[in-house]
Amino acid sequence: MYTMGIDVGSASSKVVILEDGQHIVAAEVVQVGTGSSGPQRALELAYEKSGLKRADITKLVATGYGRFAFEDADKQISEISCHAKGIFHLVPTARTIIDIGGQDAKAIRLDNRGGVKQFFMNDKCAAGTGRFLDVMARVLETTLDDMAECDAKAEQAASISSTCTVFAESEVISQLSKGVDKNSIIKGVHQSVASKACGLAYRGGLEEDIVMTGGVAKNAGVVRAVERELKKKVIVAPNPQTTGALGAALFAYEEAKKMKKEGLE
Amino acid sequence: MSKVEAILKQLADVAANPKKAMDDYKAETGKGAIGIMPLYAPEELVHATGYLPMGIWGGQKQIAKARTYLPAFACSIMQQIMELQCEGAYDDLAAVLISVPCDTLKCLSQKWKGTSPTIVFTHPQNRPLESANKFLVEEYKIIKTKLEKIVGATITNAAIEESIKVYNENRAVMREFVKVAADYPQVIDPVARHAVFKSRMFMEKSKHTALVRELIDEIKASPVQPWDGKKVILTGILAEPNELLDIFKEFGLAIVADDLAQESRQIRVDVIDGEEGPLYRMAKQWQQFYGCSVATDTKKIRGKMLMDMVSQTGADAVIVCMMKFCDPEEWDYPVYYRQFEEKGIKNLMIEIDQEATAFEQVRTRVQSFVENM
Ligand code: SF4
Repeated sequence: MYTMGIDVGSASSKVVILEDGQHIVAAEVVQVGTGSSGPQRALELAYEKSGLKRADITKLVATGYGRFAFEDADKQISEISCHAKGIFHLVPTARTIIDIGGQDAKAIRLDNRGGVKQFFMNDKCAAGTGRFLDVMARVLETTLDDMAECDAKAEQAASISSTCTVFAESEVISQLSKGVDKNSIIKGVHQSVASKACGLAYRGGLEEDIVMTGGVAKNAGVVRAVERELKKKVIVAPNPQTTGALGAALFAYEEAKKMKKEGLE
Repeated sequence: MSKVEAILKQLADVAANPKKAMDDYKAETGKGAIGIMPLYAPEELVHATGYLPMGIWGGQKQIAKARTYLPAFACSIMQQIMELQCEGAYDDLAAVLISVPCDTLKCLSQKWKGTSPTIVFTHPQNRPLESANKFLVEEYKIIKTKLEKIVGATITNAAIEESIKVYNENRAVMREFVKVAADYPQVIDPVARHAVFKSRMFMEKSKHTALVRELIDEIKASPVQPWDGKKVILTGILAEPNELLDIFKEFGLAIVADDLAQESRQIRVDVIDGEEGPLYRMAKQWQQFYGCSVATDTKKIRGKMLMDMVSQTGADAVIVCMMKFCDPEEWDYPVYYRQFEEKGIKNLMIEIDQEATAFEQVRTRVQSFVENM
């Protein structure tokens, strides 16, 4: 049986197709999100990769910021629940999840069965999210992919505030005009993102293992900054951008099983 | 339309259009209205003048003018009130009564931009002392004198006693309503519940009491139905706007009790009967008041109070409606949050921003919370 999870985020669309709730047959990412062609393109990619079509999918669960806008879903489940589900499936020892996505950051506490004990999200503010990094990459004339490498070369981190993207942008510009080393500024930017996300994690209380997920977890500079801030080791989820979609596909599998059981009884 | 629906509509109309409620009152009585700023004030004194006490609890405006006078980190409700002041929204009021239990209110009370006269008074914070009662009596005497000057009539003790009676009756009927709303969530959804509370800010209290009484009796005539959604308790300053309450409704949440300053905190404690004069007994009400972030409580009983409410109502969780940038409420939060975590009380914090127009984040939070309850 095949089930699908689609995570329609603010900045990207992710699709996972699962076989029998275990085997991932497709995990596709398109870097544009809700309101764009992203969800459709991610779907097409996943079908192409797996050789499946919509009729082969028993259940489809949508998650993410645009979950209600995606009409083809059997059910919508929040991204908090889906990330928790996906991560626990991949890393059963996970107890704290730090998820930094395109426009929000979350800290989720799990119990030992993968249930969500508590969660905190950032408030209507781009600071500490992927969007913040996008803005900074543009000002620093670099790419998101290169940022981690630059960070690794920096000796120290320039001080960049974590309260507001617009202020932080002007801080970066003034640091640049003062001739501060670009790598240090990048390290400072990562630190700023990390401190914001860690602020959420501290609220819920920290318990190991700590797992990072979301698109920003692909940036090793931010991961190192989080480890420095928490003074703890952090596990990066495999394929971190798709853990929400994976969770959704797992929920879809549970739904399908439930349906089948009810149908048999 | 059933009788219940008709009463709920009447109250919702008042809640949605306070200006009309005030104009109707003026036309009917020939008397004016006096503004009552959050959070607590001796409304009975205003009621005793025959003027209409009008609650001032912000609105849903985009903030622009208020920025001249308030920093961006002043609480959302005071930003709204400042914006509305600048627009002259409160200039029809004969006076505005302002208590100053927090820093934001202290500042705001000193720079009222409307044209109505203000009466500012202080609640003593060392509340257990007898001298606190004496101090508050003196404050109330000053308010009384100022009110008398504004309305041009003497406020007699007999009139105050009568108003105390009216207010105690209203508080009692509202406490009963809270229970009825908990028992009949199919009839009283979060939006309707809020309207019943909010309308009491803009109506003469005995009229409000009569309507709520009728509402309760009508509802109770039908049997209680089982509720398959979840039950929650709200705590904070207020839970607005209706778009937020609609989200609670969407995810099947029944509000079985609240600890909101705009709602149940207003009706928590009555003015006691006794031999002492009315002002003294009204002062005592402040001493007996409990469980609010702006009434100093060295024992920090709010967490326990909320947990007791959870066990009494069978609630599944507490939702903290955190007024954006309200420092007294922010200070209380870590204390009761820790107690909740220790006792395994499910809880969720959402931010209340009266300026908000998009509610996706809140929807995600509430949905996640319900999914994991
Ligand atoms: S108590 Fe909180 S919400 Fe009320 S005025 Fe003060 S800061 Fe604002």
